[in-house]
Amino acid sequence: MKFLEKIRRYIKISEVAPISRRYFIMNAFDGATTILGIVIGAYVVEITNEFWVIWSGLGATLAMGLSGFAGAYMTEEAEREKKLNALEKSMLTELTNSVVGKAGRFASLWAGIIDGVSPAFAALICLAPFFLSSHDVFSINFAIQLSVAMALSIMFLLGVFLGKISNRNMFFHGAKMLLVGLVITFIFLLLKMTQ
Amino acid sequence: MIKRLVLDVLKPHKPSVVEVSEALSHLEGVEGVNVIIYEIDQQVENAKIVIAGNSIDFESIKKMLEEMGATIHSVDEVAAGKRVVEEVRTPQDRSARM
Repeated sequence: MKFLEKIRRYIKISEVAPISRRYFIMNAFDGATTILGIVIGAYVVEITNEFWVIWSGLGATLAMGLSGFAGAYMTEEAEREKKLNALEKSMLTELTNSVVGKAGRFASLWAGIIDGVSPAFAALICLAPFFLSSHDVFSINFAIQLSVAMALSIMFLLGVFLGKISNRNMFFHGAKMLLVGLVITFIFLLLKMTQ
Repeated sequence: MIKRLVLDVLKPHKPSVVEVSEALSHLEGVEGVNVIIYEIDQQVENAKIVIAGNSIDFESIKKMLEEMGATIHSVDEVAAGKRVVEEVRTPQDRSARM
């Protein structure tokens, strides 16, 4: 059986698609929010070197990615193992090497990868302006503005995606997600004013 | 040369009967498959599987079903040889019922 066909079968049997969608949204949102926090914090302290943001952002990305992978993988594995044990009891046979067992193991790994990659994906997009700024493409102030705009846009788009899958108002869902980012920005700007 | 095989199988809900029948139909020597679910439980379901073909390999059928997470409860009918011999009613069957 072809590799892709196998993967498709495992996804279908393990019903991992909605779970990974949830993980993707949740963690991409986390990634964007974290970088937004770092960038606004950098703006508040008026940084002069973009590498401060880049390295602290990459450190956070790595931590989010690893914790996302390990957390989701272990949680899913435990849940799937529990389900498989119950099924094995009903079937009175071992299912570890059957397609059911393999699909369960695949689902744990898949959920872990999605959970690990999604915050890194959002975070790297938000950090991109600082990479460009470090190569003198534009100023650090513009990089800060662009990065904040990108983080807020990612949040809005994730909301739109949620609205689309739930068949509800996409703009409203996008605005709800955006509001969280705006609250963070607003709090930090208030802090800057009180400095 | 097995030409028809009727199996009583216990399987999990997933993979579905569609996937199981498709997987069995792709095996060598198999020309047609019919799967009927006759009992559904909370975790598992019982299925009657009829497989027809020119040269059915029982071991490969068993292996595929195990790979699908299913187990064979019983082999209920086997038709083998150059032609398929149908079950016939005999006077003994009638008297046995009486």
